[in-house]
Amino acid sequence: MSKIAVLVALAALLVPLYAWAGDDAAKPAPPLTEANALWLGPVKLGVLPAVPVPPGNPQTQRKILLGKQLYFDTRLSKDNTISCATCHSPKMGWSDAGPTSKGIAGQRGGRRSPPASNSAYNPLQFWDGRAASLEEQSKGPIQNPVEMGNTHAVMIRTVGDIPGYVEEFKEVFGTGPITIDQVADAIAAFERTIVTTDSPFDRFARADEASLTCLEKKGLEIFNGKGHCTCCHWGPNFSDGRFHNLGVPPIDPAKPDYGRSEITKNPADKGAFKTPTMRDVGLRAPYLHTGGEKTLEDVITFYNKGAGLKDKNLDRMMVPLGLSKGEIDALVAFLKRAMTSLNPEVASVDSIPASQMPQ
Amino acid sequence: MKKISIVLLVLIALPLVVPTPGQAIPAFARKYGFNCMMCHTAYPKLNDWGQRYRDNGYQLPGQEGKEKTTFDSPTPIALRTSTGLNGYSMKPNDDASYQTTSGFALNGLDLLAAGVMHKNISVLLIYTPRIDEPTAGYMSTEPSQPGALESASIIFSNIIQGALNLRVGRFEPAYHIFSSKRSYYLREGYEVYGFPTPRNNFVFDDNQIGVEATGHFKCGFKYGAGLVNGTGAQPDNNKFKDLYLVLSQTIGAGDGQSAGHRIGAFVYYGKQPMIAPDTLGNLPPPISPGGEYAGADNRAFFRYGGTASLNWRTFNLLGMYMRGTDDNGLNVFDKTKDYEYTGGFVELDYAGLINNRLVASALYNWVTPPDYDKVSGKVNAYTGLMRYYFGDWSAVNVALHGEYTYRKLEMGETTMTEHLYSLLMDFGF
Repeated sequence: MSKIAVLVALAALLVPLYAWAGDDAAKPAPPLTEANALWLGPVKLGVLPAVPVPPGNPQTQRKILLGKQLYFDTRLSKDNTISCATCHSPKMGWSDAGPTSKGIAGQRGGRRSPPASNSAYNPLQFWDGRAASLEEQSKGPIQNPVEMGNTHAVMIRTVGDIPGYVEEFKEVFGTGPITIDQVADAIAAFERTIVTTDSPFDRFARADEASLTCLEKKGLEIFNGKGHCTCCHWGPNFSDGRFHNLGVPPIDPAKPDYGRSEITKNPADKGAFKTPTMRDVGLRAPYLHTGGEKTLEDVITFYNKGAGLKDKNLDRMMVPLGLSKGEIDALVAFLKRAMTSLNPEVASVDSIPASQMPQ
Repeated sequence: MKKISIVLLVLIALPLVVPTPGQAIPAFARKYGFNCMMCHTAYPKLNDWGQRYRDNGYQLPGQEGKEKTTFDSPTPIALRTSTGLNGYSMKPNDDASYQTTSGFALNGLDLLAAGVMHKNISVLLIYTPRIDEPTAGYMSTEPSQPGALESASIIFSNIIQGALNLRVGRFEPAYHIFSSKRSYYLREGYEVYGFPTPRNNFVFDDNQIGVEATGHFKCGFKYGAGLVNGTGAQPDNNKFKDLYLVLSQTIGAGDGQSAGHRIGAFVYYGKQPMIAPDTLGNLPPPISPGGEYAGADNRAFFRYGGTASLNWRTFNLLGMYMRGTDDNGLNVFDKTKDYEYTGGFVELDYAGLINNRLVASALYNWVTPPDYDKVSGKVNAYTGLMRYYFGDWSAVNVALHGEYTYRKLEMGETTMTEHLYSLLMDFGF
């Protein structure tokens, strides 16, 4: 009887302990956005669904065109040299040559330029998720001293002094002064059109067996199996939109980049960065948030060893993979061609010539 | 008389050689859209990632609360079975000739249900129905698995961030550092796991009912401690609950399953009641409405040993050494001595081809009972297997399985030799 009493007492002790431990750590990350809540997963790889559009910023053709002009316009920067497209170039898989981005006056940013393509599917923007929407994100680089180096007020004055823009903003947003929110809405509307819906993988997912080569099919199998890629790169966008610490060596060991934890102040997020999409990844070398791995072979080799094993906060999902040379080759083959977009609105979009920019 | 002896020997030996499907849970693959090789080096053997997933209560490590629960995801039920040709050849002693039988067979069925019910609260149910029922239109040539609720447990994970997790119910205990249920071998198990001592209901291989605490740490240290009946699925009829402790340490990257190296040790301490018949040979009447007897005259027993797992590329060398001691009250052969035996196994696994679609393995089993035990027999068994997996990027869930075992059983002056072979299709969905 006494033993039963001890067991009951032990259980009674454990219940509140469990309830306490079930709460998140002291400084939790921001709540999941609606988009993320819909993406509780992992879910199977597949074709992208229709792009999510927030009710407050409906897509219109004029707004998208305006956003496209702004996206490619260097006049948004302090010294008229940097546009969004400088670091998120369609020719570079909507990123840049790296390893990290070059802003005004030749300044180097601390992180690799994340792809603008398919960013509409990200529940949170930036490598550290500090923006909850594309609208919020698009305001950031304009006033980042290392990127476009401007201020919102100066940029608005610049745009407001261009008659063509004044006319277009009036058509899209109605009368009234141009605001930073309108600029952000227009750029975000354009970014929501940069969606890869037609890669060889997408055709394969639509039952076109011939769209992938035999080697690429093997690569896909490894991607979803022994390679453990889909434990983070899952779903139609090949990204969980979440944050993981891969133990990537910092660019400057004297100035470690703590990523997500700098936003959440949660020690568990130390060194964690957002999972990027794998769509068009073959166009986007070098890799990782530091640009520290030059080729796909390099980055897979990094993972094959178990990622950055010296990092004490390494994500628990990182394990050595045991991939052979042949398996790495198959994986690279899949990522290089099968993930590359064929749809012209994404693959062939080019900078807008200055003559077509609002004057 | 000789024929009767042979029949008896076959009947004794057969329960040890009945193929049984192990555990792989395609419900998880379906839920996530993952290929089987995400969690398994090749199913059913777990890789490091799968082991961490299991340790974390069937939740992606670090992603607790961010995945669909059993209420949101597809029905979390999966099935696994194997069917094909089983062969058995046996020579009861050196002077006799081989007796041989073979036939196509159904080798049992696992019904598995598992998933996350709430953040850090998971469930695992495994039911193995008896399939050789006349009413089911199938009579097995070999004794089939009994119907059993093999696992029915609820798991409370991360009570203290990986350092404390609880399993309650019937579960595979942590001292199965190498799971026989997730072994590649379908016909030849780990002999020392199933070795029955003369008067003890405890079988090392059984899933147990009770409660277990486990913990895993970033430094690679793991522990498991449990309080269980020790009687498999049977009720316990003594006041004392059996205890066990398991410790292991991984060296290097990984979890020691498919990368890194791992050493471990375990000890199990239990008590077995003696229910003595009266002078007329009748057992005392049960005392509980469920028919349980009063436990009395408890006799202690121990199991303890060590394990090691070494990995190089996709080779995994694993082994276990175990000693067992039953109190002399449980020794039907010599009441003056404790019953002591040793046993273990060494296994070398290789996984090859793209996505580990080919597996080859060799296994050596041995069990050495005390010299005076002429019944249980000293076991030496040598087994080899190959498996090839069929499927595609979404699942690799059909395996062609070939397995052969040469088994020698020395019972005093008599040596029985056996050959077991199987060519099976092993599949789950």
